[in-house]
Amino acid sequence: MSIDRQRMSEGVQRRGSRGVVPTQGRLALNGARNGRSTRNSTAIRPGTRRDFFSRLGDGLHGAALAYLLGGDLFSANPSLASTVAGQRGTYDLQLRPPHFEPTAKAVIHLFQNGGPSQVDLFDPKPALKKHAGAEPPRDILNQIEFADQVGGLLPSPFRFERHGQSGIEISELLPHLAEVVDDIALIRSMHGEHFNHEPALYLLHSGRTIPGRPSLGSWVTYGLGTENQNLPGYVVLDDPKALPINGVQNWQSGWLPPVYQGTRFRSEGSPVLNLEPGEALPHSLMRAERSLLRRLDDAHRSKRPGSPELDARIASYELAARMQLAASDALDISQESEATQEMYGLNHERTHSYGKRCLMARRLVERGVRFVQVFIESQIWDAHSKLEGSLSYSCGKTDQPCAALVKDLKQRGLLDTTLVMWGGEFGRMPLAQVGRAAAAGRDHGPDGFTTWMAGGGVQGGLVHGATDEIGHKAAEDRVSVHDFHATLLHLLGMNFQDLVFERHGLSERLTDQFPARVVEEVLA
Amino acid sequence: MGAAYHPTFAATALSFAVATGAYATSHSFFDSTVAPILEENCLVCHGGDNPQAGLDLQTEASILKGGKSGPGVVAGSPERSLVLAKVVSGVMPPTGVKLDKKSIETLREWVGQHIGRDARESLITEKDVLPVFLMRCVTCHGMRRQEGGLDLRTLDSRLKGGHSGPALVPRQPEESLLYQRVVAGEMPPPELLYANRVRPPSEDEVELLWQWIADGAQASPAEPEFDAENDPLVGPDDRQFWAFIPPKRPELPQVENAEQVRNSIDAFILARLEENGLAFSPEADRLTLLRRVYLDLTGMPPTPAQIQDYLNDKRGDAYERVVDRLLESREHGERWAQVWLDVAGYADSQGIKEADRIRPHAWRYRDYVIRSFADDRPYDLFLRQQIASDEMVDRSGLTEVTPEVVNTLAATGFLRLTPDATDSPSNASLQEKFDIIADELQVFGSAVLGLTVGCARCHDHKYDPIPQRDYYRLSAILQPAYNPYDWVDPTERLLDIGMEPQRVEARLHNEPIERKIRDVEAAHQAKADSLRASILEDRLGSLPASVQADLRQVRATPRKERTEVQRYLARHFKSVLTVTDDDLLKRFPEFENELTAMQKSVTQLQQTLRPVPRIRALYDVSREPPPAYLLQRGEASSIGARVQPGVPSVLRVGLEPFRPPLPGPNAHSTGLRLALARWVTQPNHPLTSRVIVNRLWAERFGRGIVATLANFGRTGERPSHPGLLDWLATELVQNGWSLKHIHRLMTTSAAYRQTSRPTAAVRAADPDNILISRMPMRRMRAEMLYDSVLRATGRLDPTPFGAPDDVEVRESGEVVPEGSEAGFRRAIYLLKRRKTPVTILELFDSPRMAPNCTERSTSTVAPQALQMRNGDLVRGHARYLAGRLMDEHPDDPRAQIDQLYLRILSRPPSAQEAGPALKDLDLLAMEWKGHLDTRNDPGPRASSARWLALGSLAHALVNSAEFLYVD
Repeated sequence: MSIDRQRMSEGVQRRGSRGVVPTQGRLALNGARNGRSTRNSTAIRPGTRRDFFSRLGDGLHGAALAYLLGGDLFSANPSLASTVAGQRGTYDLQLRPPHFEPTAKAVIHLFQNGGPSQVDLFDPKPALKKHAGAEPPRDILNQIEFADQVGGLLPSPFRFERHGQSGIEISELLPHLAEVVDDIALIRSMHGEHFNHEPALYLLHSGRTIPGRPSLGSWVTYGLGTENQNLPGYVVLDDPKALPINGVQNWQSGWLPPVYQGTRFRSEGSPVLNLEPGEALPHSLMRAERSLLRRLDDAHRSKRPGSPELDARIASYELAARMQLAASDALDISQESEATQEMYGLNHERTHSYGKRCLMARRLVERGVRFVQVFIESQIWDAHSKLEGSLSYSCGKTDQPCAALVKDLKQRGLLDTTLVMWGGEFGRMPLAQVGRAAAAGRDHGPDGFTTWMAGGGVQGGLVHGATDEIGHKAAEDRVSVHDFHATLLHLLGMNFQDLVFERHGLSERLTDQFPARVVEEVLA
Repeated sequence: MGAAYHPTFAATALSFAVATGAYATSHSFFDSTVAPILEENCLVCHGGDNPQAGLDLQTEASILKGGKSGPGVVAGSPERSLVLAKVVSGVMPPTGVKLDKKSIETLREWVGQHIGRDARESLITEKDVLPVFLMRCVTCHGMRRQEGGLDLRTLDSRLKGGHSGPALVPRQPEESLLYQRVVAGEMPPPELLYANRVRPPSEDEVELLWQWIADGAQASPAEPEFDAENDPLVGPDDRQFWAFIPPKRPELPQVENAEQVRNSIDAFILARLEENGLAFSPEADRLTLLRRVYLDLTGMPPTPAQIQDYLNDKRGDAYERVVDRLLESREHGERWAQVWLDVAGYADSQGIKEADRIRPHAWRYRDYVIRSFADDRPYDLFLRQQIASDEMVDRSGLTEVTPEVVNTLAATGFLRLTPDATDSPSNASLQEKFDIIADELQVFGSAVLGLTVGCARCHDHKYDPIPQRDYYRLSAILQPAYNPYDWVDPTERLLDIGMEPQRVEARLHNEPIERKIRDVEAAHQAKADSLRASILEDRLGSLPASVQADLRQVRATPRKERTEVQRYLARHFKSVLTVTDDDLLKRFPEFENELTAMQKSVTQLQQTLRPVPRIRALYDVSREPPPAYLLQRGEASSIGARVQPGVPSVLRVGLEPFRPPLPGPNAHSTGLRLALARWVTQPNHPLTSRVIVNRLWAERFGRGIVATLANFGRTGERPSHPGLLDWLATELVQNGWSLKHIHRLMTTSAAYRQTSRPTAAVRAADPDNILISRMPMRRMRAEMLYDSVLRATGRLDPTPFGAPDDVEVRESGEVVPEGSEAGFRRAIYLLKRRKTPVTILELFDSPRMAPNCTERSTSTVAPQALQMRNGDLVRGHARYLAGRLMDEHPDDPRAQIDQLYLRILSRPPSAQEAGPALKDLDLLAMEWKGHLDTRNDPGPRASSARWLALGSLAHALVNSAEFLYVD
């Protein structure tokens, strides 16, 4: 077993000496996983999983199932597993210790596709009234999407008022959020890198403006595993009406193993694709088919001892059958009280769809799912025209459910350990976009926008950062998307520099090679 | 629109300096406040005579000048300043105490408000303003277009000017036409911005132009020429790394059990095994080996007839004959083409944008690759054609487009595969264009060179001796085709290849339709013009009569024929003269319906047009290579030193140098890619042959000889069998780069014929099979699984080539093949749209191409089980097979079961299996009968139940691990 290890560890030391791979071995995330992140020989423990399976002998125990459950993940051909390649090894959703004591255990990401308008919702700008209609500065024109539809500065048609103990100003469009304003931290100084949806979404969900990288939930479950091995660790609740921009790429695992990919739970009908056969079959028939297959597989496996991938394969089939129960239970909102359903707006058509998914998100987090993303139909915040009607529609759909989620988590004592994040891929321009005939709207504005966070160690009733006089550009205490990501990982007990995946000789991070900092000012 | 809004914060330090003309040399703020912070925290590394990364933080001037990563700070812009970014994020200082908040604020204040106000030591030169011209101007005033006769690419051409005279008057910005037009907001013309994918310059850039002209429009300072012999960045020691030295033919190692050696591969493997006290595991049984080699070489299992032929063939070389026959099959091309398409990053759509537009001609490249593997195109030629076949075929001399020419030109699709949405103006920023080039280089680097060249895009490679300069030298080879400053719409990078009869046919078909489109548009236009004229007349009515006449005159005169005065009037009465679509619709809202109707009928007509066959190709846009630059930190807006086209300096040992050609007088191409192709396919290139034989090895032995298939650099793995790697590499070259020769050697070796079921002792001695003490059991690739299900169940439509088959996106989100009456073609012929990958393929780890996939992962997740068990396609295929077997072997369940096993598992059932299978069949038939009875099914229930039961059995076998895993 000394094959090539010597040469390998030389390679590591060369890298280590340049200080690139941080704190080897100190952190569970960096050392203990079968030689994936690091390549020194002490980190390679090829025996572990092999031994585990060999101990099982002939039958697969319930423990094996539990061990493998979730997205059930025995990845990589075991002939490659835990070899010198460093990236190879086993990947699963077992719990892993964070770098330090976390404040948040789970995350609910309420992603608002389209770019909610900060100056109409969260960031009042009286100066816009003063300069209404004025020609915008050249630097704005420099980076607008529709350069041929530029209008003058456009004041918000909506009123702002102070709310709560904190007295934070919130737009009249968000009366429910106003009620929980003391539980949330508004970051008014977010800024992105691209004025177009697709790249901006890639940036927000995966750290760069290009496709192909792992998403937030993938990084988090890769780093921490998940609590409930009967459910996926990273669940996506998309809108049955339409996928967000970039579709399923928003929750892909990129070059992280597929086990960290988000699993879509549908909020209507069967929650998982092909959870049941297309035609309704009697249980006795399905049982007969299942036991036939199990017999074939057991016979096959018994002739091939020492093949853990075959155990994992069998487990994945058994798991598939069991997921049906766990997923169906988790998403069964009929178990909720009438009062709860009312609070989330389930009894009103306008709020029903989004409210249902917010409530499902709470039920999933309650059951130990690590990362839940709730999406909204397509990009309803993309108010290029008819600003007033457009924003009233999007707020009407989401305001009550979002606020209900915060209240509900709080009353159940879950808010302390659950981080709720609300925001889009960018904000909007403080000037009018004048298109054909229709009333004016606002074009995309990546230079300054607002998001909010609640719970999980975030300080409530706080405003962080500010945009410039007209709400165009983040000016004070600027928070980049990378800072935002670093902060998210920090709340979950991880250092953004140390959560790495070795690839092509690079230590890949969520924040890539970009500068980033934890926004300590919003921590409780 | 009201008065302009002037934000108070827009006054940059530079504009302040410009406005006051103050170039005071006082360094007071820096000396008193900033310098102490830097001294305490930074100068240990960034001081002295040889500061880290060339960044000297001792003086304001040296900080402004910066180091390898560009300027240390940008005056007036803390956000864009490297030093601040590094200290704020805590990346710097790398060790010890981080800077406190107060110090950071001080630095911020200094950069934002003081620097530049205090001192500006060097003049602005060409190098500083070049980005402004390249980003904002040369689309219309450059190589392909020279509006107004003006070319703004070089200092000389700017001084020469266009029809309106010189664009520049050095030292007199206000007198310079160029500055006047820019500062007035006339250039770049606002109405053309969106269509031309150009953004107007920022305030800073306008100031910079002013300053550059005021400073005398200085040329860039001279830069040293690149000299590979005396390269300061890459030395002889760097070139001695094993992977950078050409492979030498090794001696065959001596082995004790020479009788186990079938060919030279075995000598290398066995020698290592014997060193570790091991020998080869026994040979797999005949049918296991047959299934293995069929799946390996063709991607599908043998048919019952093929199994029978093999069992009947009692000759000693029956196995070798099978290998030869499989290598000759087209299926072999289809199977191995997929391996190359992974590293090439093949897809049928653009990606990036939500629309994910289909690339209608991409499949010709896919067919080229299949044909290349099927026909055993020599690998060196295969590479040369993919990199530069457009420069190998003299297109100007072509009178007839033969299929061979089409095929050859389609090869350049190789460097056209990455996600690219730059046809949409809002996704075509300069940075995004450089992203495309970077992706193509990533494909070239990982697939061909096995190097992570992409690491050097933003900084010198951290581990391999690839300086950033070399990355951009390589990039410069692609830039004549992908000129970032004069971009060609990707949907227009096509070569017409229609042959004469096709052209004529298309023309005859299309002409009446095109005429109709023109008529519809013209009628609409006429109506719009008359409405516009009435709006204009209303507007003119409010002006003095004399002006009215003049303006009518201006309007009637074509833009190019207008006099100086008319042009002036046109500019100043623009808001009167221009009647936009919006104006039109505001005044005549009912016109919108007409507009929509017109657009709809035009779209419908356009869809009936017959396309002329085209190739999605790569070709140079110019004969002269455009200037290429190093981009500091990889940012398009941070242009650094000019670079000449070239290859990595580290790859020199034993090689003919890269020779950029001198373009001939009639050439329409720079020939740079051809030079690259020739350089990379030299017989003794240290990487090319090693990288490909290693990939072939890994695909069948489960692990590369170099385990990191796309990284042969310092952070990659060292070869487990260095001698074998070099032997295979030289064997490939010595046999005319024939990949089939290598396939044959590998699949007929004793190493390959070993069983995949080793003894416990072997497993313990070589747990990860690094020594190849057995064949690894491997899960089928996604496409192999898909194709094998079709082959086994008889649903395979073997029709090869051509446009991809459509897929259906179901309401549930599942993406399934559409199929036809003939069945389903192989997975390689399915539409590979990036946003809608076929679900079953995706679940079994078929990669998303972004930009390519150098190594697939193998996951085992519950959704795979759900797809295979509950998906209706697989079940449908299983039932189809059951029905056919009942037709072929009526009332003979035993024969039906034998056939199921042969077709699905490539073996007959054993005696211990056949009995229980018959019982299962009866049991299942009973269950099905009961189900049909309960449903009160009107059909023939007993025979339906027998069929459905056989279907259930087939379904179970297709779902079994034995089917999915290859021994």
